[in-house]
Amino acid sequence: MRVSTAQFYYQSTLQMSNKASDVNEQMGYISSGKRVLTAKDDAVQFGTLAGYNEDLANIEKYKRNITMAENQNSLQEVVFADAELILDKIKQDMLLANNGRMSNEDLQAVANQLRNSFDQLLDLANTQDEKSEYIFSGYQTQQQPFSQQVDNSVIYNGDSGVNQLQIAKNIDIATNQTGDAAFLNVANTIGGFSADYTTNTSGVSVESANVTDRNQYNTSAMPHDYTFTFGPGTAELNVLDSGGANVFNTTNYVAGQTITFDGIDVTLSGNPLPGDSFKISEEENISIFATLNDAIEWVEKGAVSTDQEQHQVDYNAILNQLDSAMTHISSRRADSGIRLQVLESQTNRHLDSELNTATSKASIEDLDFAKAITEFEQSQTALQASQQTFTQVQNLSLFNYL
Amino acid sequence: MTVSLYQTGVSGLLAAQQQLATTGHNISNVNTEGYTRQRAEQNASLGLTNGSNYIGSGTYVQDITRLYDQFSYKEQLSSKSNLGNADFLDSRLTQLDQVMSASGNAVNDSLGLFYEALNGVADNPNDAGLRSIVLTQAETLTNNFNELESDFNQMQKSVNGEIAQVASKISEISLEIAKINDTILHSQDPSQVGQPNDLLDKRDQLITELSEYTNVNTVIDSNGIMSVMIGQGTTLVAGITPLTIEVRAGDPDPLKTGIALVGKNSSAAIDASSMGGSLAASIEFRDEHLAQARTEIDRLAMAISSTINDSQASGLDLNGLQGANIFTDINATNLQLGRVSTPSSNTGDVNAQVQINDVSLLTTDEFEIRYDGTNYVMTNMTSGATETLGMPGTGPFTSSSPDYGFTFIENSGTPNNGDVFVITPTKNSASLMDVTLKDGNAIAASGAVSVTPSSHNVSAGEITITNITDPEAARTYDLTVDVYESAPNTFEYRVYNTATPPPAATIATGTYAAGGSVTVDIPAGSPAFQIEITGDMVGSGSSAREEFTISDAFGVGNGTNAVAMAKTQEQGVVNGSKETFNQSLAITTSVVGSKASNAELVADTAEAMFTQAFNRNQETSGVNLDEEAANLLKFQQAYQAASQIISTANTIFDTILSAVR
Repeated sequence: MRVSTAQFYYQSTLQMSNKASDVNEQMGYISSGKRVLTAKDDAVQFGTLAGYNEDLANIEKYKRNITMAENQNSLQEVVFADAELILDKIKQDMLLANNGRMSNEDLQAVANQLRNSFDQLLDLANTQDEKSEYIFSGYQTQQQPFSQQVDNSVIYNGDSGVNQLQIAKNIDIATNQTGDAAFLNVANTIGGFSADYTTNTSGVSVESANVTDRNQYNTSAMPHDYTFTFGPGTAELNVLDSGGANVFNTTNYVAGQTITFDGIDVTLSGNPLPGDSFKISEEENISIFATLNDAIEWVEKGAVSTDQEQHQVDYNAILNQLDSAMTHISSRRADSGIRLQVLESQTNRHLDSELNTATSKASIEDLDFAKAITEFEQSQTALQASQQTFTQVQNLSLFNYL
Repeated sequence: MTVSLYQTGVSGLLAAQQQLATTGHNISNVNTEGYTRQRAEQNASLGLTNGSNYIGSGTYVQDITRLYDQFSYKEQLSSKSNLGNADFLDSRLTQLDQVMSASGNAVNDSLGLFYEALNGVADNPNDAGLRSIVLTQAETLTNNFNELESDFNQMQKSVNGEIAQVASKISEISLEIAKINDTILHSQDPSQVGQPNDLLDKRDQLITELSEYTNVNTVIDSNGIMSVMIGQGTTLVAGITPLTIEVRAGDPDPLKTGIALVGKNSSAAIDASSMGGSLAASIEFRDEHLAQARTEIDRLAMAISSTINDSQASGLDLNGLQGANIFTDINATNLQLGRVSTPSSNTGDVNAQVQINDVSLLTTDEFEIRYDGTNYVMTNMTSGATETLGMPGTGPFTSSSPDYGFTFIENSGTPNNGDVFVITPTKNSASLMDVTLKDGNAIAASGAVSVTPSSHNVSAGEITITNITDPEAARTYDLTVDVYESAPNTFEYRVYNTATPPPAATIATGTYAAGGSVTVDIPAGSPAFQIEITGDMVGSGSSAREEFTISDAFGVGNGTNAVAMAKTQEQGVVNGSKETFNQSLAITTSVVGSKASNAELVADTAEAMFTQAFNRNQETSGVNLDEEAANLLKFQQAYQAASQIISTANTIFDTILSAVR
């Protein structure tokens, strides 16, 4: 084949520039440590790579949310743990106060202790987080959730808003508990009703009062107050609703029997005496603060000489309700605890999938250095070779011998 | 006899001189682009008769020819056109790939940071610092979109610049070829045998240059005059008459420039996309690849703006007001008007705009709406599908099969038969994207209403707030929804104001079947929000139904809407709700990447093809210095030998003279 001089130069430069561009390209890969610099380098895998990047960014986001949720839930957990201790103390004080040998002064001292406990609990319920936002006021985080009124009752100013954070693609977790759920909605130990004793000479008390047929109950007279009156006969019971209508009467009341009317089942404990009378009214939840106020009021009555039976009935009711409050707070604490557990296990899952995703991403994107350097060496050698060949061959000219 | 020896010597001397001159010419032109090596064709002169013998009388140079193979030359021309085309596409697509990978990454990163900031607000709805970060990140995001768009504009401008340059280059070449034709025509003496080799080389060189820009075909007539056809056979040079190429602004989009062939008194547009060479590649790159990437980026920008703004509008800001747009409204009047372009050929005076209804339905296609004298007919320029929209004046018009997610609205005027409107639904979305919200407190982190189920509920039913269009109005409602199984497998619901329960008037009542659900507008007609009732809620009788209360949930600590907004990052929005924002961007980028790597392969192949053709051509026509050096020696010796002949003749002559003296 005849080779023209121009052709020789053209091809030599073309080859050298191709080799130089190879070397340059490989230098780019090696210095960045990446195999895919632009989509052109691996268009097929680029989409997958973008997916991995998105996954990693999402995991980062979830992890941040988890930290946030963890902080808030553990703060609640601590608050509930403190509340448990306080309630425990209150219960001990109450048990102490029921000792018949306590003098009025002693009882007053107990009452003062109870007041302190009350204030501590109120303070806990008004806990603020590191950003000075109230943790128990629902969405109204700048509004103090609980405020004590002149009559010592406590009202709730927050709402029932619960914020949720996304901690995984399809998992949202609550970051707060509302004040009403935490401190107000303690189940009434009696059931759906509270009793108010007018005359109680026998020590009779309402053991349970529950709505069993809500359809019937809803159609009964409003408000749902019922007055129980015993006597004049020994086993005679009349129950009047708020409109004065007789909804239940028997001349043969057997102690402990279930009294059913308007969709409600009521059972009493004790043997009522003629003349005993009390009223039940709807109250499903009793606030912890109301129970504490009742307790303080009970202790402050001092050593009572009259109405001993009623005093004891009240005491039992308060103690039962205190137990219910303690169970409630424990369950709230468990609620936060369970969330913390969920958060922790979710963190572990995120860490696993993060590692997994990062590995997969690396396998697509990262450079195999051994291979890359070998290729680089090869291209370099090829470039050198073509340069040397060029200089040697271009020296070969007949003109050198003329 | 001796006299003839003199002549013979001189003829050899002259021939060797011409040979040497030709060799010298070849050596001097070794680096001349397009030069074809020449050779002096030497012939023996006819001998003189001397008795019965012919005695040779020397030599003469018959012709100086180019060593030219027109087939290999034509092959080189056509492979040069292919190379020009492939090279241009390769370099441009590589550039686009780099832009998409760099600026696209910037968009991706800033989108991530924007969502991170939104997520921060969801964590701490009351934090003014975090709120202002959202706006700063939104600003960065829009800047990156604007930047990307200006990169696209820059690329379009430079491609247009190149088209203009190529057009003027082609025109110059055309003029020059015509001039060469003219020279050849006039310099030719019919009695002359030799060809004007260097003029021919020059002309071929111009054709080679031309072939990089477009496909070229040439025809040479008997007088050696070349006619040049470019593209699909458009005559550029007809003998000694040159035509020129001119760039014309596109219609309706002036930036989509085209070219036209201009003669003395006429001009005609030519389809540059079918011309081959780098010219066709520029058009293909600009109108297909760049336009496609740009439309997809526009669509992404629009989807982000629309999604975030919609989400904003369903929540309440720190002051209890409905969230205002964070980004430019996708249906701002200037954007709506910009989506319709009207060619200058329209004779009617219709002013129209296009409103986007649903970004998830938007495609990246362009549409043409033509008035056929009775109806508007819409054509999808990509698929060619047509749909009759209706008569003018009966609008607004929305296509139904399929629904492309936009509405064509006539503002004024009446069309004339044949009027055309070009619709680019996503136009300008990225370039005009801006952050319109300035106050971080105006981020609508708070939800407006919440649903609280009654603790007496006995079945697993649910009421969800599905769509809040007016959160301020929604807040004012304090509603109760109750449901019970009024007949087997039939569930009756009532929605009423909590303060005025039935028998007072309700807001809505109705029934749904087991396993079903129902969506209720509140209030009916123009709803402020909608609720969806799902689940088989049995209840405990007509007086004890499953109850839910819906009430104001606004609060500074309420981050529910911010959570919903942050979740849009993971939602499929684009392209029929199939792709998240990130995915959409990744798809766009990888499509460009695969086009670029494909173009590189094509360019490599074209390069190899061209090299082969070049080599074949050089094999015949190229100058080899070694060969010329050998020739130099050869002809130098021939020259010396011829001189020796003269010297010999002289000696003989002298001998004779001295003999007679």
